[in-house]
Amino acid sequence: MKVDRRSFLGLGLGAVAGFSVSPVLLKLTDDSSIWTQNWPWTPVPVDGEVSYQNSVCSLCPGSCGISIRKIDDRPVKIEGLDEYPINDGGACLHGISGLQYLYDPARIKTPLKKNGDKFEEISWDDAISMVAGKLMDIRATGSPEKLACIADKDRGSVSGLLKRLVTTFGSPNFYTMPSFESYLELTATPLHGRGTTIGFDLENSDFVLSFGAGVIEGWGSPVNCFKANASRKERGAKLYQIEPRLSNTAANADRWLPINPGTEADLALGLCAVILKNNLFAGTAKFKGGFNKFSATLQNDYPLSKTSEITGIKESDIEEMATLFAKAKMPVAVFGKGRGDGSQSLKELIAVHTLNCLVGSINRKGGAFIQPVKNYLEFPAESLDGIAREGIAKPRLGRYVHDLVEKVNASSQPVVEALFVYQSNPCYALHDTKTIKQALGKIPFIVSFSSFLDETAKEADIILPVHTFIERLEDIPSGSGLAKTVVGLSKPVIKPVFNTKHPGDIFILIAKALDNAVAQNFEWVSYDKCLEAVAGRIWKSLAKDGHVILAEDVPEGSPEIDVTYLSGNPASVQSNGDGDLILIPIDNMRLPSAAMTASPFAIKTVSDEVLKGRDTVVEINPKTAKGLKNFDYVTLTTPVGSAKVMIHLNEGMMPGVVGMVKGLGHTFDNKYVSNKGVNINDLIGPVIEPGSGLDAAFGIKAKISRA
Amino acid sequence: MSKKESESGSAKSAGECTAGDTKDDKGLGLGVIFFIVAFVICFLSGTLLFPKLLYSKKEQPFNFDHRLHVEQTGDCESCHALREDGSFNGIPKLAKCQECHSETPLGETKDEAVFAEMYVAKEKEVPWYVYSKQPDCVFFSHAAHTKTKGMDCVTCHGPIGTSTTLKPYEENRITGYSRDIWGQNIWGIKKHSWDRMKMDDCAECHKKETGHQGYCFQCHK
Amino acid sequence: MNKENIKAHKFGMVIDLDKCTGCGSCMVSCMSENNVPFKEDESNKKDSITWMRVYKLTNGKSFPETEIVYLPRPCQHCGGKGDHGHSPCVSVCPATATDYGYDTGIVSQIYTRCFGCRYCMGACPYHARYFNWWDPKWPEGMEKYLSPDVSPRMRGVVEKCSFCYHRYQAAKDKAYYDGRDDIEENEYQTACTTACPAGAIVFGDLNNPAHRVHEIVKPDPHPAPNNHYVVGKSRNPNIFRLLERLGTNPKVYYLSEREWVRKAGDNYLDGEWDKIKNHHGPESHG
Repeated sequence: MKVDRRSFLGLGLGAVAGFSVSPVLLKLTDDSSIWTQNWPWTPVPVDGEVSYQNSVCSLCPGSCGISIRKIDDRPVKIEGLDEYPINDGGACLHGISGLQYLYDPARIKTPLKKNGDKFEEISWDDAISMVAGKLMDIRATGSPEKLACIADKDRGSVSGLLKRLVTTFGSPNFYTMPSFESYLELTATPLHGRGTTIGFDLENSDFVLSFGAGVIEGWGSPVNCFKANASRKERGAKLYQIEPRLSNTAANADRWLPINPGTEADLALGLCAVILKNNLFAGTAKFKGGFNKFSATLQNDYPLSKTSEITGIKESDIEEMATLFAKAKMPVAVFGKGRGDGSQSLKELIAVHTLNCLVGSINRKGGAFIQPVKNYLEFPAESLDGIAREGIAKPRLGRYVHDLVEKVNASSQPVVEALFVYQSNPCYALHDTKTIKQALGKIPFIVSFSSFLDETAKEADIILPVHTFIERLEDIPSGSGLAKTVVGLSKPVIKPVFNTKHPGDIFILIAKALDNAVAQNFEWVSYDKCLEAVAGRIWKSLAKDGHVILAEDVPEGSPEIDVTYLSGNPASVQSNGDGDLILIPIDNMRLPSAAMTASPFAIKTVSDEVLKGRDTVVEINPKTAKGLKNFDYVTLTTPVGSAKVMIHLNEGMMPGVVGMVKGLGHTFDNKYVSNKGVNINDLIGPVIEPGSGLDAAFGIKAKISRA
Repeated sequence: MSKKESESGSAKSAGECTAGDTKDDKGLGLGVIFFIVAFVICFLSGTLLFPKLLYSKKEQPFNFDHRLHVEQTGDCESCHALREDGSFNGIPKLAKCQECHSETPLGETKDEAVFAEMYVAKEKEVPWYVYSKQPDCVFFSHAAHTKTKGMDCVTCHGPIGTSTTLKPYEENRITGYSRDIWGQNIWGIKKHSWDRMKMDDCAECHKKETGHQGYCFQCHK
Repeated sequence: MNKENIKAHKFGMVIDLDKCTGCGSCMVSCMSENNVPFKEDESNKKDSITWMRVYKLTNGKSFPETEIVYLPRPCQHCGGKGDHGHSPCVSVCPATATDYGYDTGIVSQIYTRCFGCRYCMGACPYHARYFNWWDPKWPEGMEKYLSPDVSPRMRGVVEKCSFCYHRYQAAKDKAYYDGRDDIEENEYQTACTTACPAGAIVFGDLNNPAHRVHEIVKPDPHPAPNNHYVVGKSRNPNIFRLLERLGTNPKVYYLSEREWVRKAGDNYLDGEWDKIKNHHGPESHG
């Protein structure tokens, strides 16, 4: 027997034939086709029992009720809560994206301490004792006022605790970032007295005259405004939108009246003049502060022709608008350009609100409600020691955050030894970010209470990471121009994902680590117990129903209206610098621009006419473009800075104006949402309004040239 | 077999004729033997060895006596039940076990000791392997089948309720599926309705019962 | 399909473009509900997967006469010519990875069945279908929010809006449990519908006269007199469908009081619109 090639052929053929008639081929064909459908790296979500937990969203001041769908212990979806008094089932895209914040691997996962340029992880105990040690040193020098604090707001128990910490420590320097809520109080105070604020009854108004308020772009309590706007169509109510750009609100309005940027105050006063001249005002209102003089000056200063010339709106339109507004049954004029949380001119806000006063829309259904700022919390009285009493008696560094920044930058001595930053991002959100960072650079010790390593947290020496709103208990008071006042309860729906703490607990821990003078004011064992105690009266119903309505009806009585502020004829702010164009910010519903940054989902929805690749796209009218085409690169230069951007030709933009979206250009480490586009606050500087001291920059002179 | 042999035989004679070679070519005869040997080996390994290679065996965390529990509770639904929203709870969670076992303490078998020490004491869910686990793209409504159409569990799951031990879980090394989806028979031949759980098996029953095999989304997500 | 087809649903929606604010809630609610992934750069809208996309339309006029409107575009769930279920995409799929559910009117997409030839994308007149050019990747830890109701996709397959079919399944499961034959209108609503803060989207059964969507749309069960391929045209002259004349018979209707918006729903030759705008629905004939 000889083994040759052919016998091996037999071997091979036999093997093939043997396998062919065995189940191997059939089974492998089936299995391999299944294999191509199931890559091991494609996640398979774990199934489980569905449940829903109600809570309140605190990403923005809107304070919407939310329903969180869970699979076993795992939250998988956030939706609007049906029948919640603010949003009744609706939700905005940021709230729905909430879980992307919760699970974001870019979150700060544990306390951090700056070492040179880098952060290193430290334990909570070490972090708290380092902060307390530094604070004790400051207190020992007898200058406790050198502790300053920047928070997002001063309402609610968490801010209450923080403010209590700063006060009992001995510092008057507690600042809040500009917010629509703060502007409402600033407007109400000179007109109606201290401790008042304004709510707008949009859902009942039959004529809304909006001075650039982005009613459907995140202004006020966004979802509530969306609903009011949708119901406007059914009720036949009118919306007139006054702004230089065809915003979504303008596009959705019954009428859009383009106005020269920064002349809204003049238009409002011009409209007041028409109403007074034509005797269209409601004589019932109780004016004081020299109403007759105010009326005479107005009619003298704002003849139709002049108002028209300043604002660029036709005389006939002004007259028609004034008449429609005054003759409407339930008119309301609303202010606060864009989202209402950017820089604003107090003159403008007061001028617009004076329209409400003139036509009798104060405390009337569908009008503006003047309400006392509701304090539903009962903190025990603060007990201050000598150092604290001396400290808080010293003058504040200024009224607003930008004053604080200016003082720090102007002084060669450290006027602030330590700074707390809670839930705010001044290094990104305030005008002329360079100077903000410069000021923070001069402060020897910065403590950030943040969930994310944002622009401001990056400047901190210690970061004490806080729970996201999905992980914590907190009372969330509504505000932001809502007609009703609702306190909602945000609840932890999941155990903390990372080694973070509740901000309230952190403040209590810090206080307890300080000397007894401070610590005795913080005798609660935890924030949860503190909330239960200070929310005393409303706690039971808050815990049971998830919310408490503090006020929802038309307020009784008609408050006094003091026209002194406008009688003084305060000057208007001008945009500074040279340049043939005016750069104005655009608020886009899909891009948050304050403490909250956009989620990956939100960024995904942003139009390629706003963000293209890594470039911000600015809007200009084709007439202004001078031969430039869509998506051409240009260099945009302002007195504050310059940036390379793309342009988009938009017929909805007033000629001579360049619009740039707010909310882009973050510079932290998150490839999905950061390092995209330009931060407009790098290009716009503050313009201080005489009289109010507010940063009232509505824009800035700018030039563009082909890049 | 015989046919193949004869084919080989004729090839051999043809070879002899054309070549006119007088040398005794035993190689061809050997080729036949090689063929047969290879055929038999490959066929047998494809039928017997292949399934052993294809599937990896995994032992359940500990043994579970279905029969005992069915005797105690009376039915399957006491543990494997529809939730109020109509979804199916699948393998019960620890809490479900403890509903009974908080009052009726666990016995003293080795398996019960494992359960008590490794899972109950540590409040850890038992990582059971699920024999009938379908891929992620499948949607299956137990409510539609058991509640509305009154089908019993056995039709698809077999007589698992009378078993006293848990067989090892066999995982297909290529697809990651449980062996029970394709069925124990490597040819895919089924004798009982519960022997296979492939899409065709669903469609077969649907066609028979509803006259239509159904639209994609009826069973896919 | 005998008995089933008699009482078949025909799920559809009507979107009020005058109420839509372009806020983007529907897009994000859809992404979150359906495990839609995201990637570093989503500004190239051709490869950005958005089952629900909100388009911006303008009337093309210059300042200050210019107007804009937002148009949310989910899958249109076409019934195909004559509404017989031969949707453009279903007709061309060589893998039966997409089919027409005659019991619901919903066009399916089965990812594990799809092999990525993208014929359906070419066939779809609405750009409602998206291809996974890359494997979806969630940043570490973020896969924890994925919903088990919708299977995550893999590289190389097409995906699209399903009218949140899993919500229909869940509603049916609940009905089965309660021993009911059918589901209520409010039990099955898509994620975009429930999220819309303006209430611009109304979803329901176009075959059920008690449903709001039917009340608003008033679909004409008879083929259009001038084009027999078109079935279910709205009797409300302010309601239109996208590229309605193609006879794809979408189940998504749009409502606007503005003529230019309705005109934007199709491409008309010069003068053509003026001829047909008044013949919009059978109601205007009579």
